[in-house]
Amino acid sequence: MFAYTFKRLLALIPTLLAASVLVFLFIHLIPGDPAAILLGDSATPEDIAKLSEKMGLNEPVWKQYLLWLFNVLQGDFGTSIFFGLPVLAVIGDGAETSILLASMTMMWIILIGVPIGVISATKYGTWIDQTTSAGAMLFASVPTFWLGLYLILIFSVGLGWFPSSGFPSLSDDGGISNLRYLVLPSLTLAAPNAALIVRLVRASMLDVSREDHVRTARAKGLHPAKVAVKHVFRNALIAVAAAFGFTFAALVSEAVVTETVFSLPGIGRLVVQSILRRDYPVIQGVILIIVVLYTIINLLVDLAYARLDPRVSLK
Amino acid sequence: MKIIASFQSVFRGRIMAKLGAFWLLLIAFAALAAPLIAPFDPLEIDPVMRLSEPGLPYLMGTDHFGRDTFSRAIYGARMTVFIGLGSVLVALLAGGTIGMISAYFTRVGNVLMRGVDVLMAFPALLMALVLMTLLERSLMNTVIVIGIVYATTTARILFGMTLKLKGEVFVDAAICSGAGHGSVLFKHILPNLVSPLLVQASFIFAFAQLQAAALDFLGLGLPPEIPSWGNMLSEERIYVTRAPWLLLYPGILIILSVFSMNLVGDAMRDSIDPRFKDDIAGV
Repeated sequence: MFAYTFKRLLALIPTLLAASVLVFLFIHLIPGDPAAILLGDSATPEDIAKLSEKMGLNEPVWKQYLLWLFNVLQGDFGTSIFFGLPVLAVIGDGAETSILLASMTMMWIILIGVPIGVISATKYGTWIDQTTSAGAMLFASVPTFWLGLYLILIFSVGLGWFPSSGFPSLSDDGGISNLRYLVLPSLTLAAPNAALIVRLVRASMLDVSREDHVRTARAKGLHPAKVAVKHVFRNALIAVAAAFGFTFAALVSEAVVTETVFSLPGIGRLVVQSILRRDYPVIQGVILIIVVLYTIINLLVDLAYARLDPRVSLK
Repeated sequence: MKIIASFQSVFRGRIMAKLGAFWLLLIAFAALAAPLIAPFDPLEIDPVMRLSEPGLPYLMGTDHFGRDTFSRAIYGARMTVFIGLGSVLVALLAGGTIGMISAYFTRVGNVLMRGVDVLMAFPALLMALVLMTLLERSLMNTVIVIGIVYATTTARILFGMTLKLKGEVFVDAAICSGAGHGSVLFKHILPNLVSPLLVQASFIFAFAQLQAAALDFLGLGLPPEIPSWGNMLSEERIYVTRAPWLLLYPGILIILSVFSMNLVGDAMRDSIDPRFKDDIAGV
């Protein structure tokens, strides 16, 4: 296991390096002088010349890349044009919201998606199964922002149960009760992903239930509920765990939209605003961090998969 | 005849999928015949009639410029079809070529598929957003960007499927009897991939709609003057408390179209070669 983990970690390096080259080149693909782009419209020629010098823009591109990578590895992602602050600090400000939103969303996905998938599979072929399967597909077909806007319309504007926008930090007034600001956004974000998990749990439970060991368990007279939980569900969870990397990517993408709908001060909204403000250093920083996180999560998922399923060979 | 027969086998006993296919045909018809069906000019501004409720003559009401929502929705069907087909074309051509070639020529494939791995480290919408920053907002660019995003998954899926076929006896037989690479790829392997490709295409078509709508909503998709369902939602959302229908109709149109395409894709997936069933990631 250790050797395998080490090998996989080593294999990550080329992928991450290649991804970092793409992120680095991003600035150079925008028409214009990179130093002028990074400093924004208000920069003086002296500033531009100074930054050009610092970034080594007069050097060959590969040298510039190494310099940039060296800085990034030390946590220096440059300075935000809009805020005038280090990029890492700007991203850090959005981290609390985004992490809490993601956690709450995961909670809904597991609490709602998994049980419905189990019910759907155990009632395979009945009207319950058909309704939940079709319902799940329907929810996966709803644009995230549309659902969010309707939840605001019903539960904020109409019933007044939850706030419609913003999120004060948990350390502000209100403390833990500020989480109510995240109820609607997390439900919005959870809906399409929970729908995918329902279908996934159902499909993998049906797969497992056709296997020999399940037939044996049934044949020796075990209670159907016990078979469903101990033999089918536990094994089906392996496939579900393997899908969590995919879920993370979907969460990141849809968080961009959801945070915009609910005006949450998270990283997703930061990306959109930075794009609209042409704040390139921030875009670069966020993308790089997300790519690294995503790659690591995929690795962890693979490792967990190898550990959970003894049939996966570690070669 | 063969097409009708396979059509019947896909939809037999599946009422929902049939309804989905019917809805998609309706959308295609609306897109083709938009100028004939639409009662008003989708761009015509009539400030006196702004935010009129649904009724006569405005079946789905009017927006904040007094433009007829129903006519805009019909013209929006054109964008839906164009974005769907365009993204599918880009994704299958780019991704399909890379996937097939990588599986067939192993040495080139190692390099190409590593490249695909790198691109797949970028979550879909994020990659689309970044590409859109580099490009101007236009219909063509939106199609290309969404197509590229799905080209990566398509490449990986086709890579797996081509590898499976490459190990089959009929491919060996073709090579032994002196068939060239081109002939093996296009005459022997590709025909076996047509139906799984169609299934993959239907899922790309569906997801592309959601991505395009999200891009429109974020102000990074189609130019605002184009009446697409996503743009209609994005533009009118601030009037939602006064005119809820402005949000309702385009939203329902998007949902029905994506849902229908998923239903049809699901039905098609169940009827294809069982070897490929697990390769295709739909809803």
